[in-house]
Amino acid sequence: MEEKLINFIKGEYLDDDDIVITKDTKLISSGLIDSFSLVSLQTYIEREFGKRIPAPKITAESFDTVGQMIEIINQF
Amino acid sequence: MRLGFLFISFLAGSLIIYWTLPNQKSRTVFLGLASLIFILLADKLAGRIVVVLTIYTYFFSVLIEHSKFKSLYHKISVAGIVLLLAFFKYMGFLDKYIHSVTHFFMQNPAHPFEKILVPLGLSYITFRYISYLTDIYWGINKKTDIYTLLFYGGLFTTFLSGPIDRYERLEKQINVFRIYFKKDFVYEGFERITIGLFKKFVIADWIGYIINNINSDPGGHSLGVRAVVLFGFSIQLYMDFAGYSDIAIGASRLFGLKIMENFNSPYTKPNISQFWRSWHISLSDWIRDYLFFPLSKYSENKIWLLIIVPIISMGLCGMWHGSEMKFAVWGMYHGAGLSFFQFWSIWKRKNKSLKKFTETKSFNFFSIIITFVFVTIGWLFFR
Repeated sequence: MEEKLINFIKGEYLDDDDIVITKDTKLISSGLIDSFSLVSLQTYIEREFGKRIPAPKITAESFDTVGQMIEIINQF
Repeated sequence: MRLGFLFISFLAGSLIIYWTLPNQKSRTVFLGLASLIFILLADKLAGRIVVVLTIYTYFFSVLIEHSKFKSLYHKISVAGIVLLLAFFKYMGFLDKYIHSVTHFFMQNPAHPFEKILVPLGLSYITFRYISYLTDIYWGINKKTDIYTLLFYGGLFTTFLSGPIDRYERLEKQINVFRIYFKKDFVYEGFERITIGLFKKFVIADWIGYIINNINSDPGGHSLGVRAVVLFGFSIQLYMDFAGYSDIAIGASRLFGLKIMENFNSPYTKPNISQFWRSWHISLSDWIRDYLFFPLSKYSENKIWLLIIVPIISMGLCGMWHGSEMKFAVWGMYHGAGLSFFQFWSIWKRKNKSLKKFTETKSFNFFSIIITFVFVTIGWLFFR
């Protein structure tokens, strides 16, 4: 799950191959991706992992790192 | 003033009873019922609507939680609440248009909707109940009993001007044996109320007093003076609204409750997206969760996602503020701003040197000014 999410984020939102993303990299608070990207991230998670995460659970604070995303995905 | 006196009396009286009750459950029931009495005294029609709406929401919450047809009941329940809101909010405004049509067919037709007034707090309670029902449907929270629902929807400290807090957040606070009284509740509550009163009655009202005279004769003043007045209006609006939110948050704190923040220095944000994450936060979060995200799922088409969805969502957000067309235009103006910001972000991501340039302090300062000017010009539609 971690690898898939990182690959999706790199391919979809980051047009710079030099940026290294790990499980703990701050994505939104550091400005790497903007909060509008969360919509397509929600769609990707539903399609790829079959988990429908409700919008109130997908915030700039709760989805700031891949690790946090995995934690929330596992709750549903 | 009468409403202010009623609020202060209720706050004092209910605080004494609240803290003498033995457990949180009885306090929640008490606050729910006390809030209903407050609303009935403030506006009888609003009180009756709160009763009907609470029973309606409770009934559908049971159906959504237990029925096989969750999706159907969710849609019906939300549609009913939206229709109720739309009826009170827009029928008075639409009356003149309806009258124009009926006048064509008959002489001197009646004005059946002319005197419809929006009941107090209706915009807030309807949005709270929609989020409550949707969160049950999404599995975020379980349904509660009708008294706790009344407490959530009608809590008198937040009924008139928000914030539109979520049930999930409040439930965590009240689902305890008892909130133990702390002196900090009094300090924090009164400090916040004082800040709110200062923002509202000193800053906002004084600015309003100064600029109202100029506003009454805009043609008689230079563009520079009118620009200063618009700047003043921008500050007045923020202080007015943030002041009311402070009073609501402070008054709730006296009961040991922590209501969500509604403003976070919105005029210091470097882009319109961040502005909306710090201006009327409870409403913008609501729009994001229950309009923006669901609408975005209809299509992956870029035009839909980047242009149409922000404009529709913010247009509806504008309509929530009032029935006149100017509010919808104001909302769509912000939707267009958010749309532009998304394109700008994509362009910035693809252009390394531009990205580097935008990370400088001077660009950040420039962005704050531009965002403030954009928002302030938007208030022209709002006035």
